[in-house]
Amino acid sequence: MSEELTYTNESEVQSSVERCLTFESGGLVMFLSTNYVIEIINDHSITPLPLVPPYIKGIINLRGQMLPIVDIRARMGKPQAEYTSKTCIVVLEVDSVPFGIIVDSVRQVMDIDLQDVHPIPVKRQEELLNGMVTLEDNSVLMSFDCKSLFM
Amino acid sequence: MNNNMESMLDTYLYEVNSLLDSLDEMLVADEKVGDFSTDDVNEIFRIMHTIKGSSAMMEFGSLATIAHHIEDLFFYIRDKGIDSLDTEHKKELFNLMFRSEDTLRGEVAKVESGSPLSENIDSFAEEINVFLKKISNASSEEASADAPESQPESAAPSGVSMEDSLPEDDKAACFLHIFLEEGIGMENLRAFMIVNSLRECGVELRYYPSDLETNSDTCQEVIENGFFLAFDTKDMADQGVAVLQSQNHIRSYEQIDAPEKTEDKKPEASASSQPATEAAPKSAAAPQAKPAAPQASHAPVKQSLLSVNLQKLNNLIDIVGEIVITESMVTSSPELQLLPRDSFDNFMKSGRQLRKLTDDLQDIAMSLRMVPISGVFQKMNRIVRDMKQKLNKDVRLTIIGEETEVDKTIVDSIQDPLMHIIRNSMDHGIEESVEERIQAGKNPQGEIILSASHTSSEVIISVSDDGTGIDPDKLLAKARDKGLLTKPESEYSRKEALMLIMLPGFSTNQTVTEFSGRGVGMDVVKKNVESVGGTISLSSEPGKGTTTTLKIPLTLSIVDGMKVTVGSSIFTIPISNIRQSFKVKAEDIILDECGNEMVQCMDSFYPIVRLHNFYNLETEVTSMEDGILLWVEASDRSYCLFVDDLLGEQQVVVKPLPVFLNRYSLKTYGIIGCTILGDGNISIILDILGLHTAAIDNK
Repeated sequence: MSEELTYTNESEVQSSVERCLTFESGGLVMFLSTNYVIEIINDHSITPLPLVPPYIKGIINLRGQMLPIVDIRARMGKPQAEYTSKTCIVVLEVDSVPFGIIVDSVRQVMDIDLQDVHPIPVKRQEELLNGMVTLEDNSVLMSFDCKSLFM
Repeated sequence: MNNNMESMLDTYLYEVNSLLDSLDEMLVADEKVGDFSTDDVNEIFRIMHTIKGSSAMMEFGSLATIAHHIEDLFFYIRDKGIDSLDTEHKKELFNLMFRSEDTLRGEVAKVESGSPLSENIDSFAEEINVFLKKISNASSEEASADAPESQPESAAPSGVSMEDSLPEDDKAACFLHIFLEEGIGMENLRAFMIVNSLRECGVELRYYPSDLETNSDTCQEVIENGFFLAFDTKDMADQGVAVLQSQNHIRSYEQIDAPEKTEDKKPEASASSQPATEAAPKSAAAPQAKPAAPQASHAPVKQSLLSVNLQKLNNLIDIVGEIVITESMVTSSPELQLLPRDSFDNFMKSGRQLRKLTDDLQDIAMSLRMVPISGVFQKMNRIVRDMKQKLNKDVRLTIIGEETEVDKTIVDSIQDPLMHIIRNSMDHGIEESVEERIQAGKNPQGEIILSASHTSSEVIISVSDDGTGIDPDKLLAKARDKGLLTKPESEYSRKEALMLIMLPGFSTNQTVTEFSGRGVGMDVVKKNVESVGGTISLSSEPGKGTTTTLKIPLTLSIVDGMKVTVGSSIFTIPISNIRQSFKVKAEDIILDECGNEMVQCMDSFYPIVRLHNFYNLETEVTSMEDGILLWVEASDRSYCLFVDDLLGEQQVVVKPLPVFLNRYSLKTYGIIGCTILGDGNISIILDILGLHTAAIDNK
């Protein structure tokens, strides 16, 4: 009986709480579901591609797989920052399309209750973010919308 | 048996087995209903026809003969309609068909195991004929009284002396003559069960009468004369005897050695009472000769075709590509220089071994995608046949080099172009009437030759007809009428004039026919061929005929490339597109009124595309003296590329660009893919034709 109870509790938990990766880019702290994350790599040489928007940094060779790289900072229209040792490529797979995003730094993995995520009350041109959440320590995280990169 | 033969055999086995499978399915379904549908009669006819054809081609006589007889039978049934048979006959027909299927399967199994086919299938063929005669007699209301006729005279000759009654079996080294206990009933089936249990114990044998299982008339025969088991070797026979001892219902058995055909002088009596001493050398000789002979001519071939998910295959090829690259990364790693000399030598020794293995692995992986072009060519046969009747022209199609292997994607993509070219040849190439041909002093029968061959990097497919040929003047006049000419008529060379036929909206035929002449023909062909990186060219002599030649890269996944640098980027240009590379001085460059640069190569002028300008790349090399010009050519476009420097040749594995980048349509800017270089870096592969379109045509 007690086992059943815990089970139902768990499934409730699964429905609204998700493990999320938090990271920084262009002064914002963002999170995205770890379901999309394949891995985090750094220090990869990026081959630039001609004739693509500046935020497409190019492609990398990840163990034989060609991976396009998007610079989030450039995508948000922020000035280019020097890539440091903290700069990471987060490899994502969204709708079975793999790609990588460059972020200034990766913070941690934490549980976020999706029910606490509120819409952003400002009208924006670029909809890279689709929500915001306040944590217990009163810091604010932005929800990064992976699918926005396909728009 | 060479490779080619083996692959044909594989295809044959695959084909016949699947045909027999569908035959089986049909027979089972139809028997449930107790009737053949008209469609199925046609289908069986077709199956038998195919089996006959391909068996005859592979020289499997017994299969071809059986299939031929059944084909005859079904030809008759198809002709008269299945309803002309009464229920009794239908039942018999079903039985006959199932047995035919089994016989065919038996023969196929023999082909598979590499053992020789049975030669005395005449009795079975006779049976089919008898049945055919019976139903044709019945339908013509003649004598149908002789029902038991279905048992032909071929039944074992009874009442002859023991030795003479030995079944005809050239291969058998030894026979067992077995008598069953009296009055056990269903003797034929019991005999068959004994055969089965022997086979289960791994004893290879044949049995006579060979229709034990299916023909209940053999029952009487088994009671009277017993039955025979034939073994290829004496050892097999001994094994058989051991098994027999555990079987029930056997009254007696006798081991008889096969009479030696070559030694007719030998008293026959010795055969039955062969003393052990004499049997030994004989049996020793037999097994030695036996296994050797079949291996020479009938190596065992199991059907070994396997269909594999293309995605898996591509993954495999990707990984193999990775291994090749990683291998060169490891062996050229600078850290190795730090090793002491001895260990370095050892390392390099193993390294070379690894290189050889990875090269082999790559070759094999690549060959997996290669299929013979024969499939496509065979379809052309059909087109020619159909058109021959429709157009009432007598044409034969000669196929050369159908065993040529090409990448699967290429085979798929050349089918339509080829079909178009063949139709054009049939429709416009070959003269309208036999009289015309005779007047021109040609063979009344037209000929289209379809041939394939390959060079180290490309497949050359050509279609030539011996028809009227193409008159370049007519083409020019037509092009002038349609306003397709881009320069004065007199300046067109013969070759250029012929190429006019490839322009969109060009069709010389006055009337649109069912097959060609819609004016979408050749330009579509050209586009299709170019989409797989190939080129098409025409040559024609009025009155003699036309030859269309397609040159297509062997595979799309590996390219011999030239690496060039522009700024910090490395591009790869397919070697097959490069005609020449050279340095020029600034004064060699000619400018037009818009400042477009041109250069003279041989006797013509070609435009220059500065890669760094076109792709907006930063480079220090901007003056003509510092960089290098590559004269490139794709299909009929030719121009020069200005790059910083050449890095050298390399064979590269083409990888498509990531899906994510599709929306930037880089393909229209001449980027077809990328590749990983030996050091792990990425190089972009240029599409010379696409680059021309983007940089010059659509400027």
